Amino acid sequence: MIRLSLLMLLLFALPRLLYAQPADAGVPDAPGPSPQPDAGPAGPEAGPAPSPAQPVPSSGPSTEEPPRIAQQTPPPYPDVPKVRQKPVDVVVHVEVDAGGAPSNPRVISPPNPPFDDLAVASVLGWVFEPARTGGQPVASHLTVTVRFDPAAKGETILVQGKLNALERGHQAAPEVGAQDVRVEAGKLATEIPHKDATELLSWAPGFLLTNEGGEGHAEQIFLRGFDAREGQDIEMRVNGDVVNQVGNLHGNGYADLHFIIPELVQSLRVVEGPYDPRQGNFAVAGSADYELGLTRRGLTGSYEVGSFGTQRALLLWGSPGSDSHNFAGVELYQTSGFGQNRDARRATALGQVESKLGEDGLWRLTTGAYLADYHSAGVIREDDYAAGRKGFYDTYDFGQGGAGSRAFVLGDLEVQHDQVTAHHQLSLTAETMRLREDFTGYLLDQQTSFQQPHGQRGDLIDLESDAVTAQAQGWMRRTGALAGQPQELELGYFARVDRSSSQQYRIEIATQHPYVKEADLDATLGDVGLYAALNARLARWAALRGGVRTDLFTYNVIDNCAVHEVAHPSKVTPPGDASCLSQQDFGRFREPVQHATTSGAVVLPRASLVLGPFAGLSPSLSYGQGVRSIDPSYISQDVATPFARIQSYEAGLAYKGSPGDIDTSLRLSGFRTQVDRDLIFSETAGRNVLANGTTRLGASLSGRVSGSWFDQNASVTVVRSTFDDTGLLIPYVPDVVVRSDSVVFGDLPWQLDGKPLGAVGGLGVTFVGPRALPFSQRSDTIFTIDGSLSLTWNHYTLGVKAANLLDTRYRLGEYNYSSDFHSQAEPTLTIARQFTAGAPRTVLLHLEVTL
Amino acid sequence: MRAATRAALAGIIAFGVVAGGLVGCGSTGGSVVAFDVAAAGVPGASLIEAAAGWHVTLSRATLHIGAVYLNLAVPISGSQETSCILPGIYTAQELSGLDVDTLSTALQPFPAPATGTDDEARTGEIWLTGGDVNADSDSTVIADIAGTASRGAQVLPFTATVTISGRNRGIPPSDPAQPSAHPICKQRIVSPIPIDLRPRDGGTLAILIDTASWFSAVDFTALPADGVLPDNNSNSASQNLFTGLRAAAATFQLSFR
Repeated sequence: MIRLSLLMLLLFALPRLLYAQPADAGVPDAPGPSPQPDAGPAGPEAGPAPSPAQPVPSSGPSTEEPPRIAQQTPPPYPDVPKVRQKPVDVVVHVEVDAGGAPSNPRVISPPNPPFDDLAVASVLGWVFEPARTGGQPVASHLTVTVRFDPAAKGETILVQGKLNALERGHQAAPEVGAQDVRVEAGKLATEIPHKDATELLSWAPGFLLTNEGGEGHAEQIFLRGFDAREGQDIEMRVNGDVVNQVGNLHGNGYADLHFIIPELVQSLRVVEGPYDPRQGNFAVAGSADYELGLTRRGLTGSYEVGSFGTQRALLLWGSPGSDSHNFAGVELYQTSGFGQNRDARRATALGQVESKLGEDGLWRLTTGAYLADYHSAGVIREDDYAAGRKGFYDTYDFGQGGAGSRAFVLGDLEVQHDQVTAHHQLSLTAETMRLREDFTGYLLDQQTSFQQPHGQRGDLIDLESDAVTAQAQGWMRRTGALAGQPQELELGYFARVDRSSSQQYRIEIATQHPYVKEADLDATLGDVGLYAALNARLARWAALRGGVRTDLFTYNVIDNCAVHEVAHPSKVTPPGDASCLSQQDFGRFREPVQHATTSGAVVLPRASLVLGPFAGLSPSLSYGQGVRSIDPSYISQDVATPFARIQSYEAGLAYKGSPGDIDTSLRLSGFRTQVDRDLIFSETAGRNVLANGTTRLGASLSGRVSGSWFDQNASVTVVRSTFDDTGLLIPYVPDVVVRSDSVVFGDLPWQLDGKPLGAVGGLGVTFVGPRALPFSQRSDTIFTIDGSLSLTWNHYTLGVKAANLLDTRYRLGEYNYSSDFHSQAEPTLTIARQFTAGAPRTVLLHLEVTL
Repeated sequence: MRAATRAALAGIIAFGVVAGGLVGCGSTGGSVVAFDVAAAGVPGASLIEAAAGWHVTLSRATLHIGAVYLNLAVPISGSQETSCILPGIYTAQELSGLDVDTLSTALQPFPAPATGTDDEARTGEIWLTGGDVNADSDSTVIADIAGTASRGAQVLPFTATVTISGRNRGIPPSDPAQPSAHPICKQRIVSPIPIDLRPRDGGTLAILIDTASWFSAVDFTALPADGVLPDNNSNSASQNLFTGLRAAAATFQLSFR
């Protein structure tokens, strides 16, 4: 209650403090909102320095001035034979901060390497007059066309800058410490093989992705000592819209990101830990937010074909006259899969339009649809593989697999007026998921005396979970000044309602008929969250970022199969083989349904102190509390909802600099996270189930170095994960994860038809240390190398990508539990090692055309 | 710049130290074990005092053990549990079957070692199976017995062959509301055998089979004239022999060496 009161006090007092500043306080606006590519924490120096001499911000009617080029140096025309010289336009998107400095230039016209590099270098050397709102300089971004015209005097031409109208785009939240990682996609996305958008998470430190469910089943994510399964411990967002499925019977928080076309990911923000007040439900290990965009303009078509009958066709369209937030894309994918029962097919369509709304606003509409159908192999017992009874890539149960669909529409509205920016978002999503998986074979089918005699009929789970989700969220950000420093306050809301329906059956393997219904839930789940986030500059070298968030979760659950057994059944009408019983003791009738409603609220304080940068170094300290809502299957009438509560601490150090024109960033952090009710994998349930409290203690080191011809991103994370009551290690989570992505690019010394031949090579390396398994066992290590090579000429790109280049036979997931797949004469009932096979070398040829 | 480099290097060194302290230590508790399993008869197994004053001298007595399991559950007298397999309770298993000469006191090893965990086991299960424990029909000979029964001057040679199928050992349901009150798997699993042992890697689980309990309730007065005890429960002698074969604590003693 006291904490709630403090929260309310904070919510009311801070706006008053900010708005109470006199209009002539003489302080520039808050820091620029645009995200920096893989930057360190935006330290206090990142924003404009306060200057008493600067003009007073006007409180009158809003006026806008776009940024202007104040000084420009024309680029030289490349060294091309005179006969082949012709006019070339290169379109460059560049951000301009409130001080007029350009940054993050990106070529958005079709690739034309020698001109692209010259154009980018030229734009970075320009001096801009910043955009202004109400007379006050603000950050902005714009598109310029750099024209190389051989007819111009000498070997250089004058630049013709075409300034677009002022653009705002989505204003990014300020970084909350060294664990806040933002990565622009760039060549790391296109040149390192990524099967799907989830794999892009490996850009951030500490992620391990596995998949025992097949290509169509969400990836299982391990992060910072958490077995986050398919999203239960990571809040996943796409353009800010939360995509975790609440009420999914397979996993509350299940997040399947296959509907994202990887090439349409423009950037990714990962916050490891619950340190940002904007993070909501499921942000236990952290959160990830994919920003969709297409920097390459024009029509791009690509086709991939390769190992195991894999084919992928992709069509992307970005209107040349628009920016990266306007696009459309279609992806078709199919594979026969390596080994048995791994075929998959999926299709995705994504589109987005964004435009100004009057003089002060911006609207965006994103739509998408996704369909998938697949099979999966599941686990193989190590003893069966060792004895030759099963092959490494075999399966026991050909019934495993699944299907899924998703359709969504997402609308954004952003309005800026003076020093206040307001953003609202509304989405509607319909999705279905079917999953058939078998972890245990013939082990769980219990004979009861009321049933007809039967042997073990099989443990194949057939789960269906459908949901319709309506989501609304928004924020209002006010910039101002206090104590001579620019300040920022954001008040936000989040509201979500899910109508979900889930059923789970067990399937008789011999006939493929369901023989028991294990669950049948209809649920209406609500979540309303409010937060206040402060970006307070205490001094030029210190910023306090954080605030408080409160969430109210409501549950309205109808269990349509509430009675599975009865202690004293009717002798006249025995329950027999029915799953959902209509009787209670001694044959008294009851309906098989049970209705339960309950609710619960949490208050979550979060704060980060970011210092510096001092010579590029920014130390930070963070504290945060997080929450994970409970699975609806655990809900009881009026019983207070038992949330999982998370407490996390982190100390970090970030470095950012450009020594020798090489952009360098380095992040180091140590963290401790405690969860009072964790989720641990249960093979019998086929998912994670509630367990006792746990603690993670770890450290992470990552860095990115990029220059004019290379880009290198690497990270190493170590963590120790233990149960609080016993001190024993938590099984299955990796304690060491190392990832490196390297790309080199440039022009080859040859030309075709007067046009240069560009080349790009990429290498991705993954190392995962031995994971703890039950009964003091350790898994094998994982070491894989992915590689790619591509040649670009004119509008064409031809390349080859190879995943698992060394063709290492590795075990992607390893488990210790009991299973019986009838592979031996007698039932195998004690624990044994099982594994899911990692993919062998997969080679894909790739042809791409951009017009 | 120098200060930044020094700080960055110090940070990396600190990371290395922390990482070294975090990685590779600790465990998830418990351990897996592999051990041998061997079975033998008890001394004096060939000379038995049976029911009703009969003295039995065995010339042949083999018992087929399909599998051996140890589990965590504490035996409960009179348990009415129907299911034959309770997932999650098994700590060790021996899956390679063995025909045990119960007249020999020499330990006869099972062909392959048992596997399991070092958890404390409280119940042993002897599976008298030759195939699927739930199959209605199984022609595997579980016991092959020959000998003579004598009482006073009366000497009766006899043989017995025991198989376990629904047709000869099944118990029909007495309550139509509970058609599976007596599944055939229950007839094939000898349990609960009380034990209190903790398997360890490299040890041996010894199973001693006391043939005396096989005949403790067998009255050879009911022996058919041809001297062959029928392979079903129609005859009281053969029914009691089958019961004796499956007398958990009386027939089987499990110890770990």
